[in-house]
Amino acid sequence: MSGSVKMMIIGFSFLMILVSFLIGWWAKKKITSSQAYFGSTGMFGPLTVGLSSTAAVASAFALVGVPGLIYSTGNTMTFWMLSSAAFAMAYLILGKKMRAMAEIGEVSSLGDISDLRFNNNHYIKAILSIILFVGCVAYLAAQIKAGSELFSHLLGWNTIVTGFIIFGVLTVYMVLSGEVGGLLTQAFQGLVMVVAGVIIIIAFFIMTGGFSEVLNVVSTAGTVTKGEVSKTFGPDLLNAWGSLPGSIAMAWMIIPILGTVGQPQVLTRMYALKNPKDMPRLGLYTAISHFIVGFFAVVVAYGALYLVATGAIDPLPNGDSSIFAFADYLGVYAQLFTYAAVLAAAMSSASMFLSLSANIISRDLPSAFGKKIAPEKQITVSKITMFVLGLVAILFSLTSAEMVAILGTFGWGTLMSGTFPVFIIGLLWKGANGKGVASGLTVGLVLNLLSLTGFKWPGALPWYFNVITISVALTIFISLITKDKEMDPKVEAVIEL
Amino acid sequence: MDLSDKRTGIIVLIGILWVIITVLGWKEQHMAGMYAGVILMLLHMMLGASKKGKLSSKLFVYPFLIWAVLWCISFFLSKYYADLYVGKIPDFTVLGFHPSFAWTILTYWIGGVLTLTIGFILFKDEWLSEKDWQDFKQKIQMIEQSEVK
Repeated sequence: MSGSVKMMIIGFSFLMILVSFLIGWWAKKKITSSQAYFGSTGMFGPLTVGLSSTAAVASAFALVGVPGLIYSTGNTMTFWMLSSAAFAMAYLILGKKMRAMAEIGEVSSLGDISDLRFNNNHYIKAILSIILFVGCVAYLAAQIKAGSELFSHLLGWNTIVTGFIIFGVLTVYMVLSGEVGGLLTQAFQGLVMVVAGVIIIIAFFIMTGGFSEVLNVVSTAGTVTKGEVSKTFGPDLLNAWGSLPGSIAMAWMIIPILGTVGQPQVLTRMYALKNPKDMPRLGLYTAISHFIVGFFAVVVAYGALYLVATGAIDPLPNGDSSIFAFADYLGVYAQLFTYAAVLAAAMSSASMFLSLSANIISRDLPSAFGKKIAPEKQITVSKITMFVLGLVAILFSLTSAEMVAILGTFGWGTLMSGTFPVFIIGLLWKGANGKGVASGLTVGLVLNLLSLTGFKWPGALPWYFNVITISVALTIFISLITKDKEMDPKVEAVIEL
Repeated sequence: MDLSDKRTGIIVLIGILWVIITVLGWKEQHMAGMYAGVILMLLHMMLGASKKGKLSSKLFVYPFLIWAVLWCISFFLSKYYADLYVGKIPDFTVLGFHPSFAWTILTYWIGGVLTLTIGFILFKDEWLSEKDWQDFKQKIQMIEQSEVK
């Protein structure tokens, strides 16, 4: 890549960071209460919330790791990436109930909803907060690492310096404007990803001539070798299942589709919507933006396969470089938007998980342990927490590679094991009680940690699938055989809605 | 469709389905697991979309049932064409895709959005009407007033 192209990519990406900062700065004006700062509760329309949801869900992994997996193992991962119907499903399942919870009490965080549903059960709130914190920090660290390494490589700067510049700016605007700035900057970053997606999808068709050409060359290329790197092609690589075991395809269909309703970045956006009647339109806008971003990831992988199979580029030593290899081949216009889109994906997810983690540390966990912070002090405490957490996360992500890799195994599935007992079972079923949910959460937390120790689950399913199943089944079973306090009639009205 | 006295039964079925799907995954019976996964999702949507325990029949038929059938057909056809052309170059494509993967594109991805997302828009009042929302807010107000007294 020439020096001038590098400078253009850097300039374009830093322009995006600057615009994000200015949006965050401007968003300060909209903070009129602690509910606004912590939760953007009932503040935004469906287009803004939709773009923000797509951006927060599509992390750097979606644009870098997913094409890498498709390049390496075929179409198995497309079940995950083409899950655009998941948003409508999530809102149909829980949208009106989550939004309605904000009508029966002050809701600024998921912990507040847990309090309302389970009569201020401190134990449930504490375990839920710990599970969410582990999942959020795992995501946050992965975004910081991916974004910083990519741009330090481009700039030729030290990774830590690069990380502090990009994610330091992010931390500052998040501290200033909380979830309001977070949601608005994510919407902008989501738009960047959508525009980049449209450009790259068009470029893919122009370059390859369409999917039949890709299928043709991938089916017939055999093994391509350059130096010590080889890539073996074959007709089965591009059937629906790819080369991974069928149980992985099954898990990668169920977990992203049903699991979307259990992601904090989707749950919190349900109560950020101003009018609950706009939930169907939110489903449409989120689906359209996810539709483009999802297809973006797929065509990038297909493009890389095509280039290697036709001998236009050498086989990739690491599948994760698919997106960059494809963009570099297309030329400067594709490079500008692709690098900016990857940075947008990393920043949007990082801001979401920084804000969630800071809320947990500064509000939910202290309240779960019976420590009340006066409402007028809450924003100040949270700002300090978010600033410190942001800086520590940057330093930690870029200096503890092994720990970040371990944490990387937590994420989507870990978050589901925490949210399904409390919110999905809890708000769909009056019979879910404190004892059942506490049991499901406790066992879920223990099993998440146990899975880190190398514990071997049966079969080829991803380990978190087992944890979610046990957590959900135990919540239901214990709730069935035990009795709890009477339910608040307002919560009953929400479940009936 | 009245679900009010079936909610506990449906939740128990949800728990059982999670266990069954996991065991099917262990046993590499992924096709059965995927069909069971569709039922699992359908049950969640039925509970979530019901109002005062009642699920609109319109909503149940379209989008829910049509979506569920579409996805089951999708998985079946993906498996059928993958088996038919295993190790071979397919002698036809659908929009340029491998005939097995075409169903992921047409029915799983596009079909999923066209049923659930569009159906949700078309039948939004069956999920939550303005009257439902205002009635809910009024009910909360009444409960709060009675709590003050």
